[in-house]
Amino acid sequence: MNRLLAAGLTASVLLVPVAVRAQSTNALLDQGVRAYAVREYDGGAWLLRRALSVEGPGALSPVDAARALLYLTAIEVARNQRDSALSAARRLVVLDPRFKLEESFPPGVVAVLQEARRTAPSVSIRASGDTAIRPGTDAFIVRLGASTSPEVTATVTGADGRVVRNLFTGTIRDSINVRWDGLDASGNPPPAGRYSILVTPTARERRNSGGGTPWTLRLPIELARPTVDTTPLPPEPPDSLFRPERGDSKGAIHALVPGIVAGAAIVLLPKVVASGEHASGARLIVGGTVTIAGIAAFLSHHPGQRLPGNTQYNRNLRETWKRNVAEISRRNADRLRQSRMIIRPGAPSLVTGDTP
Amino acid sequence: MKRLLGAAMVCAVLLPASVRAQGVQFTVGGVAAQEIVQSHVDQVNDRFTGLVLGGEGALMSDRFVVRLRYSEGHINPKAGSSAEARDVVEGEAAFGFHATPWLTLWAGPSARAYTMGTTDQRWLIWTGRAAARGTLLPGRMQTFVEVWGAVSGNVGSPSLKAGGRGANGGLELRIGQESPFWGRLGYRIESTHAEGLRETVESVTLSFIYGFPQ
Repeated sequence: MNRLLAAGLTASVLLVPVAVRAQSTNALLDQGVRAYAVREYDGGAWLLRRALSVEGPGALSPVDAARALLYLTAIEVARNQRDSALSAARRLVVLDPRFKLEESFPPGVVAVLQEARRTAPSVSIRASGDTAIRPGTDAFIVRLGASTSPEVTATVTGADGRVVRNLFTGTIRDSINVRWDGLDASGNPPPAGRYSILVTPTARERRNSGGGTPWTLRLPIELARPTVDTTPLPPEPPDSLFRPERGDSKGAIHALVPGIVAGAAIVLLPKVVASGEHASGARLIVGGTVTIAGIAAFLSHHPGQRLPGNTQYNRNLRETWKRNVAEISRRNADRLRQSRMIIRPGAPSLVTGDTP
Repeated sequence: MKRLLGAAMVCAVLLPASVRAQGVQFTVGGVAAQEIVQSHVDQVNDRFTGLVLGGEGALMSDRFVVRLRYSEGHINPKAGSSAEARDVVEGEAAFGFHATPWLTLWAGPSARAYTMGTTDQRWLIWTGRAAARGTLLPGRMQTFVEVWGAVSGNVGSPSLKAGGRGANGGLELRIGQESPFWGRLGYRIESTHAEGLRETVESVTLSFIYGFPQ
């Protein structure tokens, strides 16, 4: 019977990973626990790690995450992977510092848990469940606890590792509440997405602790925002609306050449058409007029000259556009601030230098 | 002359809507020209001057253009000359093709008739023309130069073979911004010849045109 179950679990791990991915994290946890029971340790470890890796709305609850870490610890002990077992146990201690074994596990598992309790950073992070706040007005509160008064820094960090906001730097004496008003360092609400609150020891704390194992306590949070009706920013004025700030030399030449050529042609026409005749002075009047018109057209382009009127016009155009953008951005920011931001905390985790 | 002006007025009133609807532009206008005619008959040279008035019209599409010109007037011999004064009637019809945006090639007949007392002299010249346009200020001022040569022609009775060449050029200026009216200052010279005859006509023309000249 056990072999049949083991074979089924193996098949589920090896042959149907896609189907497994689609399962809920709780189902993965249950299968991982059953795998431990039938000593199918490899498949069990895979299932439990998969369940623990899910973040966001489908993530395990803190109680279930603690259970998954406990069984993962037990599986890694059974596989003689002591470092992995110790890492899972430390995560368990961070997740629930008051965790107590209520089931019977082999002595090796108990020993690993005791060691994790002894060596894990004595810092914990807790957040109440999903919270809706108005950015800049309300606050999302996380509670940091510690038994050894470490000096830490707490930041809100984006998925790309960029620090969105520094929340706290100082010593944790027993416990403190760290408040985040939902704004980034520049005072704007960050876009929806996945973020983390990271708690790390300060450089001084690391020096004081004798350069022990570095650690980072991480609380994943997901920001969601209901759709806010914002006004689109006006596009930058197209080039066609701007006036030339210098006289158009090319256009001036294009105006001059036909005038000069036509004027000269008119003056010379009698020579070509009626070379033997005595031409009147009329051609000089008309040819001269055309030439003067060409020169006037050339000068009207102000070739190469600065055109202060146009420069001022363009500056006004740009400044008006910038003012509009600033005003609409301000209104949009106000609307975003007034809308509520939903913060969904996940299960905290500890990343240490020896985490596999 | 009155009939011609009447016809031009009718065209100006009735044509715009129907012509524009077909994607064709048109121009109509009046012309006043001060002409200087140098006439050489055998070894006798005479010089005449006078005012000639007329009208012109053109229909233009993107590629083609048709032009009609008509004018008439009276020219007087230079003081002290024994030559008779003449009535002058000139006409021209030309069909053009826009070879490039600035160059139009034309072909068509050009006719001139002098009436001297009871006799007259009629010139009919078939011409090939090339006209170039240049813009000084877009939509406001442009120049043009046109040259032509005779392909064939004849004059008078008995008919003699005739030839010749000519040219004209000038400036066109929009009268007011966005106005449909244009003014044109032009200089024209033509020299036509036949056996024992040569006529050279110089003129300064002032035209008033409705429509966008091309």
